[in-house]
Amino acid sequence: MERLEIMIAGRGGQGILLAGYLLGLTLIKHGYYVVQSESYSAETRGGDSRSELIVLKEQGEADYMRVRRADIAVFMYGEQLRKYSDKVRNDALVIVDSTFIKPEELREGWRSILIPFSRIAEEQAGTIRVANIVMLGALARITGLYTLDELKETIQRNVKPGWIELNLRAAELGYKVAEEHGA
Amino acid sequence: MGEASLGFLNANQAAAEGAITAGLKFFAGYPITPASDLFEYLAKKLPKYGGVVVQSEDEIAAINAIIGASWAGAKAMTATSGPGFSLMAESIGFAAMTETPIVIIQNMRAGPSTGVATATGQGEVMQSRWVSHGHYGIVVLTPFSSQEAYDLTIKAFNIAERLRVPVVVLMDYVLVHTRERVVLKKPPEVEVLERKKPTKPPGEYRPYEPDPEDLVPPMANYGEGYAVLVESMAHDERGYYAPVDDVYERLVKRLVDKIEVNRHMVVESATYHTDDAEVLFVAFGSVARSVMSVVKEARMEGKKYGLFRPISLWPMDEKGLRKAAENAEQVIVVEMNYGQLVREVERIVRDKPVHLVPLLKLDLPTPEEIVEAARRWL
Repeated sequence: MERLEIMIAGRGGQGILLAGYLLGLTLIKHGYYVVQSESYSAETRGGDSRSELIVLKEQGEADYMRVRRADIAVFMYGEQLRKYSDKVRNDALVIVDSTFIKPEELREGWRSILIPFSRIAEEQAGTIRVANIVMLGALARITGLYTLDELKETIQRNVKPGWIELNLRAAELGYKVAEEHGA
Repeated sequence: MGEASLGFLNANQAAAEGAITAGLKFFAGYPITPASDLFEYLAKKLPKYGGVVVQSEDEIAAINAIIGASWAGAKAMTATSGPGFSLMAESIGFAAMTETPIVIIQNMRAGPSTGVATATGQGEVMQSRWVSHGHYGIVVLTPFSSQEAYDLTIKAFNIAERLRVPVVVLMDYVLVHTRERVVLKKPPEVEVLERKKPTKPPGEYRPYEPDPEDLVPPMANYGEGYAVLVESMAHDERGYYAPVDDVYERLVKRLVDKIEVNRHMVVESATYHTDDAEVLFVAFGSVARSVMSVVKEARMEGKKYGLFRPISLWPMDEKGLRKAAENAEQVIVVEMNYGQLVREVERIVRDKPVHLVPLLKLDLPTPEEIVEAARRWL
């Protein structure tokens, strides 16, 4: 692996920035060098929200700081999928929240995985607010970049105390559902 | 201490951590984008290390407060952006003239004037060197990653304390909005230096009498029993106003020469594929990361590109630059202004064509944009 580019996009309120931050922390613990930037619109709900991560083995190779063509893209909402598809490689691994995105919106050539993160969060964890963590649990299983235990450790250390248990459960749910999807 | 830990920090947070490791005890600042989150970070953290964080009424008060704190013996710092840096101009000269160790973090955004507060830029290459009136010495360091923001802030304190000069850490909007892995080394893994203390008894001590080898006077702080005069007018070794040729000449020369004499502890640069480079790029800060990608991709196509990156901007590693340019047919300076660093590069590299690629863009230029802007020479 030389340079891996990951993009997570969705709308404001979906916890995209927190997901990017927790993913970065987890990858660092795993031993990678990570560069993470984010962009978002002024609205706290409903606007654009995007987190970009460059994952490298060594710091010495840390060149251009942004995503050019994502190798892995996560879309949590359809509007951002349409908006940022051009920043995704034609053969990328694309993971989408099928609660909000229909299969026909996905490009041919992409290695696409559809999982209803938001629906799972709502129905099985009790709140849609942890859909981002369900996604991170699934991402662990799908990409193998980090383990579920490493993610859980990050959650334990960085999530507000009252939310830890719920988030741990969300991470496990995501991992399990990805497993069921054959990942 | 001793144990290094890992951080996932933007350059503001990394610089704050570096300052804490270096022994920062007093921070004063006035909020400004993109330096406010450094301020907030320190406000939460520095008191736990026995330090003080003050929000002053403006940037002028902030810099004067850190100058006073430094004379009281505290390692002192402020952080700002272009507009605040301009306000600090007079007092930076005061710190240079009174040989007060201070560190200033300057996060460049798009100027001039209020410019675009939420966009990046590199308009202060020249201002950082000549911000205040008169001729004096100053050191400017330029990180290009969070790791360097940490390392160079420690280095900035070491230079400030040891050479008794103001040191500017010149970062940019992109760096302070990007998180990266940072190894937070602690002493003894990283060197932390203290100011030189007087060896003479109070009766014989003269506050501006330099040691002959490094041209730096040992510094007595307030309250240590020494007679200390903080004099910003032309002064002799005692600190007495002395408007006479030989005293004035001796003082101004020493304020500049003490950095030259101690160049080894200041000058730093990095190279990327320069050994056989036919096209040598020169860039610093976040835009140098984009140029790295240009060089890397050109090398894959067999094109002999290289990058020289000044880490100390003032003074620059002139020898290193000349060596990197040795085999080059041309030198291309990429900077996010309308041509500032290029003037220094032209002065240093005299036997090659030096071209300017000015990028007046509001966000970090992509490698493609740089190649496009430099196309006529590639």
